[in-house]
Amino acid sequence: MFGKIFCNIIKSKRVLNERELEYKNPEEAAGGLVRREIIPASFRGSVRIRQVDAGSCNACEWECIALANPIYDVQRFGVDFVASPRHADIILVTGPVSWSMARALEKSWLAAAEPKIVIACGDCAADGGVFKGSYAVAGGADKIVPVAYKISGCPPSPADIIKGIRGALALLCGTHKGPEPK
Amino acid sequence: MTPRNIENYHRVQPGEFAARCAGIFHAGGKLRMMFAADERETDGRMNIYAVFSSIADHGSFDIITTAVEDEGGFRYQSITPRVPAAHWYEREMACMFGIVPEGHPDLRPLVLHGMYPEGVFPLRRDITAADVRSKVDLAKDDAYPYKTVEGEGVFEIPVGPVHAGIIEPGHFRFSAVGESIYFLDPRLFYTHKGVEKLFEQVGFERGIQIAERISGTSSFCHSTAYCLAVENMRGVEIPIRAKAVRTFLVELERLYNHIGDIGNLCAGTGFAAGYAGGAELKERLMALNHRLTGSRYLRGVNRLGGVSRDVLEDVESISAELSVVTDEFKAVMKFIMSSISHMERLEGPGFLSREAAVKLGATGIAARASGVNDDLRTAHPNLFYDRIIFEVHTRNRGDVLARMMLRADEAACSLAMLRSILRKAKPQKKELMAADAQQDARPADIGGGRQALGWVEGARGSIFYFVKAAADGKSPLRVKVRSASFCNWPLLPLAVLNDIVPDFPLINKSFNLSYSGCDM
Repeated sequence: MFGKIFCNIIKSKRVLNERELEYKNPEEAAGGLVRREIIPASFRGSVRIRQVDAGSCNACEWECIALANPIYDVQRFGVDFVASPRHADIILVTGPVSWSMARALEKSWLAAAEPKIVIACGDCAADGGVFKGSYAVAGGADKIVPVAYKISGCPPSPADIIKGIRGALALLCGTHKGPEPK
Repeated sequence: MTPRNIENYHRVQPGEFAARCAGIFHAGGKLRMMFAADERETDGRMNIYAVFSSIADHGSFDIITTAVEDEGGFRYQSITPRVPAAHWYEREMACMFGIVPEGHPDLRPLVLHGMYPEGVFPLRRDITAADVRSKVDLAKDDAYPYKTVEGEGVFEIPVGPVHAGIIEPGHFRFSAVGESIYFLDPRLFYTHKGVEKLFEQVGFERGIQIAERISGTSSFCHSTAYCLAVENMRGVEIPIRAKAVRTFLVELERLYNHIGDIGNLCAGTGFAAGYAGGAELKERLMALNHRLTGSRYLRGVNRLGGVSRDVLEDVESISAELSVVTDEFKAVMKFIMSSISHMERLEGPGFLSREAAVKLGATGIAARASGVNDDLRTAHPNLFYDRIIFEVHTRNRGDVLARMMLRADEAACSLAMLRSILRKAKPQKKELMAADAQQDARPADIGGGRQALGWVEGARGSIFYFVKAAADGKSPLRVKVRSASFCNWPLLPLAVLNDIVPDFPLINKSFNLSYSGCDM
């Protein structure tokens, strides 16, 4: 029991330090996200993300916007957000997928060209989060589009999102192709 | 005086309701919110409530309530023709409760889109979440009757719901002549998540988590207003330290929102360096949020009956950080205001007249930038606000520039208030929770059927919660959320008239409306 508590203390301390680091040195937080190593060859060293808000509370959006601010500046890693799903390699979904956004999300996914993947960003997109059980939500992006990767957090911090994108791309390195559309 | 005494409920006959509301509204009483509650299980009635700020008794509320009779469908006389501020509330009630306001000028469905079943009203107590879910049909088209403008040279520009940038979803139907916007018909509620029903499903305690997720950048104000409503209902008085912590975080939330918004306006004019300055300073504040509360969005602090952590412990380091922010904020403002091309773009577009702001019930920045002196912190002071001296800022021009400058004034004011709270925090007793806060364990004491309001002036404007307990006192019978954006969205079509389409993003940013907060 004491061992468990001790472990938790160490763990929480480690997380805290890492978090502080994220603000002071986002490059380290990104874990040396170097484009040649991490971005699959099929994407020619750079990925483009179309973010789709499917009923999010807007906290995840602000963290995505923060990725482009001078502190995190993800463009230098070859990652950028685009206006059209036609230009996107990744559909980044936030929110528990409200019924009113379900079709718009599906259309955005269908509009993106292969190879493509869906990342569910945040607890709501992962499984509905606190909105699970509501009459108005599908309860997770995977109810509507094939999700390849989930980033947890409510909201995930900008550094968490960078790490998540890296994780998803690593996964893609093995497959090189997105799953078939539903 | 406890907050309970300042809510005066007046029950009137259905026939008198419209006249009574119109009387208060025309005498200058502000309509704070209007909602229905399905109380057929307790008193056999479907009730409507209209909450006004009292004119005679400053600081209190007059709540006019009436029962709607079921005469082959619930109907009552609409108050919108006489109280324009009620127009969205009445449309909302029609969608969610099936209460039809007769004589309302616009009865198109507001909240529920085409895929929802007709004749199923989610907020009625005899309808369960499963009832609605099972009847949702995603294949059905959303045949919303947009208002169209006809004539030579008029063309329509449909935008959304998925927008070009990283923003929330909503559809805008512009009718433009050349570049000028002749008419704008917005279609919102794409992010409708059934929040008010969910409150009834999960109970009082978990309601905090939902309130925190109604609108991301207003997380703390929403959860504070919710907690205040439940505490007022239970008659719990929170300790002074908890009040100080809540007030501090409400002001911190206002500060990071206002600074972020000032930066975002630069993105609206393509002034990248100004935007970067604002974004960097906002990020500094988000890091401070995280250091103080463990959450960049100030989540997890509010509890029913107090707060979970004492964020004011380390006065010195917070003060040091705040002085850095104060200096940097001055530098950023000086830099932004020295850009003539940026400042010239802000002058003029997005004009909202004082008359329109009053009639349509504008709140927050949108109201105060059009010369309406309305701030809940002085109109209905709660928390710590009666203990700190501050000034309500207003501007009269009503355009984008006025809203930006007002944000700068309020940000400076918030910084002063934060320092003032820190000074007062040192000698306080470090008690964070009310002694009788654990009332969930003793539902008999709570008393079924009790009701109360909770309110906070957030960064976007006033936020109101109404909470009423069910007969057993264990779960809510009704939680009504009224976010600032719900009041301010209907202003946007007026503010953009005759401006050019490329100025729309700028005008939209100057209001900084939350889609999720409005759609719920």
